[in-house]
Amino acid sequence: MLIELKDIRREYTVGGEVVRALDGVSIGIAKGEWVAIIGQSGSGKSTLMNVIGCLDTPTSGSYRLNGKDVARMDDDELAGIRNREIGFIFQNFQLLPRETSLANVELPLVYRGVSARERRARAIDALKKVRLENRMTHKPTELSGGQRQRVAIARALAGEPSLLLADEPTGNLDSATGEEIVRLFEELHQAGHTLVLVTHEPRLAARCPRAIRLSDGQVVGDGPGAEVAWQGVARP
Amino acid sequence: MSLRVDLVEGSRIALKSLASHRLRTALTTVGIGIGVATLLAILGITQGLDSSFEKQLAGLGSNSLYVQKDPWIVMGDWWRYRGRRNLTWAHYQAVRAQCVRCEAVSASISQRGDVDFLDRALSLVELQGVTPEELSVGAWTVTAGRFITDADDLNRTKVVVIGADVADALFPDGAQPLGASIRVAGRPFTVVGVLGRKGRLLDQSQDLTVLLPFHAMSALFPRRWSLAIGVQVKSSDEVAAAEDELVGLLRRVRQTPPGADDDFTINKPEMLSSTYQQLTGALYGVAVGIGFITLLVGGIGIMNIMLVSVRERTREIGIRRALGATKRTIITQFVLEATLVSAVGGAIGTLVGLGGARLVSLVTPLAATVRPGTVFFGIGFAALVGLVFGIWPAARAANLDPVEALRDE
Ligand SMILES: Nc1ncnc2c1ncn2[C@@H]1O[C@H](COP(=O)(O)OP(=O)(O)OP(=O)(O)O)[C@@H](O)[C@H]1O
Ligand SMILES: [Mg+2]
Repeated sequence: MLIELKDIRREYTVGGEVVRALDGVSIGIAKGEWVAIIGQSGSGKSTLMNVIGCLDTPTSGSYRLNGKDVARMDDDELAGIRNREIGFIFQNFQLLPRETSLANVELPLVYRGVSARERRARAIDALKKVRLENRMTHKPTELSGGQRQRVAIARALAGEPSLLLADEPTGNLDSATGEEIVRLFEELHQAGHTLVLVTHEPRLAARCPRAIRLSDGQVVGDGPGAEVAWQGVARP
Repeated sequence: MSLRVDLVEGSRIALKSLASHRLRTALTTVGIGIGVATLLAILGITQGLDSSFEKQLAGLGSNSLYVQKDPWIVMGDWWRYRGRRNLTWAHYQAVRAQCVRCEAVSASISQRGDVDFLDRALSLVELQGVTPEELSVGAWTVTAGRFITDADDLNRTKVVVIGADVADALFPDGAQPLGASIRVAGRPFTVVGVLGRKGRLLDQSQDLTVLLPFHAMSALFPRRWSLAIGVQVKSSDEVAAAEDELVGLLRRVRQTPPGADDDFTINKPEMLSSTYQQLTGALYGVAVGIGFITLLVGGIGIMNIMLVSVRERTREIGIRRALGATKRTIITQFVLEATLVSAVGGAIGTLVGLGGARLVSLVTPLAATVRPGTVFFGIGFAALVGLVFGIWPAARAANLDPVEALRDE
């Protein structure tokens, strides 16, 4: 198993009241899987993704990533895990506005201490994978939404992480551009990448081989995407 | 990740950020620059004053002491010195005959008076009646002719040795002073020597002076003089011992009752030095204090700007953290940015400060000099200010929760 979550809880205390964003989540994800995490707004999808991505630490529970006990790591070690093992793709792209596409894609490699020359070569490779080799010197403001998201995907790919994590990657895109991005994910899945995709769109989750449904911080469904995606939802 | 990578990447980001906020950078720079300029100008003037004072003190004669009725500088308790007995010729002779640690002993009396030659007249010239040994006690040099001799004093010959300022004023354009008959307080005297220039001491010329044989002076101004007994001590490590010896010797000769205070003072150049330091120390303290406050204000400006910068770039910090930047990486980036702005400000301030010091030395009699090390001090100190005031904002940036930071609008 690449990811092993056992009884993960993440609680927030807001004004004296405890909010259980994750309430005992246990799941396993194997290498090469493509898993959708689906659920209604506020069900805990982003919280789960942040925990998996080592951006957030659970209140309790155990988490093993690639066999390593992540829950016991300190801040610097977690930064190292994020750098080497995780590629993030966010709904709002999260690119550095003043840097070019190339510089944005190079960033994880900078923090890994890769030499400038190799960094550049690997960043160009990643940009080729998302077919943006002709937009390398553009800054994010000079790109369309779909292109920005492709730069973000290239950045996630550049470090060759074990796991790609995408939180609503098509949320800010129109349906045609969104489809483009989903196709890209399909390609990446075929190429052997492990993908975890957070979405609230059943149509998108249905295309994933596996989907996990969250509700109020608990797993209420886990199975083939086509089945779990429409659980409790009126099929249009 | 290695610190080297942190530093390289941090500098790159810092430069980029500074370049993209030119006006803000310029204003912050000015803040620090003013502080450094103030501090440097003050230091320059201070160093200038000190070095010119050191030079002046050297002109007083090394290892020289002057036994006199009153101290050179009386601060406050002047009443203590009332009713002191004069120092007489007999006291001088006793010191001269008995002091073992004294290399040379001179007697001198002085007062201000007029000097003229043909149609040129000088007033308020320091007229001094001296014995021949004042040459070495007073660290005088003779550039032409000779000094006062024992024969002059014995015979009360009407000769004078004139100071450099007097020579310049009475004998301009290379006129020959030696052999000329000048009038001192209305009486004719023959110039037999010209003294080398000593310079100014505490802003008074030591060269607007005329030296006469001791007894010629006392005959010219008959009154009950109290002498200054000048002593040149044999070696500098015997000065304290010589002082003790002189005190004992004079108390004995003057029959001061045991237990009574000394009714004379041993004046030393160091006394001027310590008075000078007392007088100027407070002044420097205030001035340097102002400089530091200016820098403090500049530093707070930097801190403010850095806090704004952290606020503005919260999302950037979140992105960097998500991609693997450690807290140290973030701290390094922001501290470097603060240090860089300050160092640039420091460099500009240094130039302005040096210019200011130079200007002061051109338009005022103060000689402002800046030692080379001061320049590095200016830049280094500014960088340090940036470092210190940048740490807190940088730590705030590093301690942001990555998830929160990414959510920032
Ligand atoms: N920082 C926080 N402080 C307090 N409560 C929080 C915090 N972050 C999340 N929550 C709560 O945790 C629950 C899960 O939030 P989460 O963001 O994971 O939902 P989500 O499934 O991603 O929703 P959406 O589809 O709207 O993005 C919500 O009820 C939310 O209010
Ligand atoms: Mg969410």
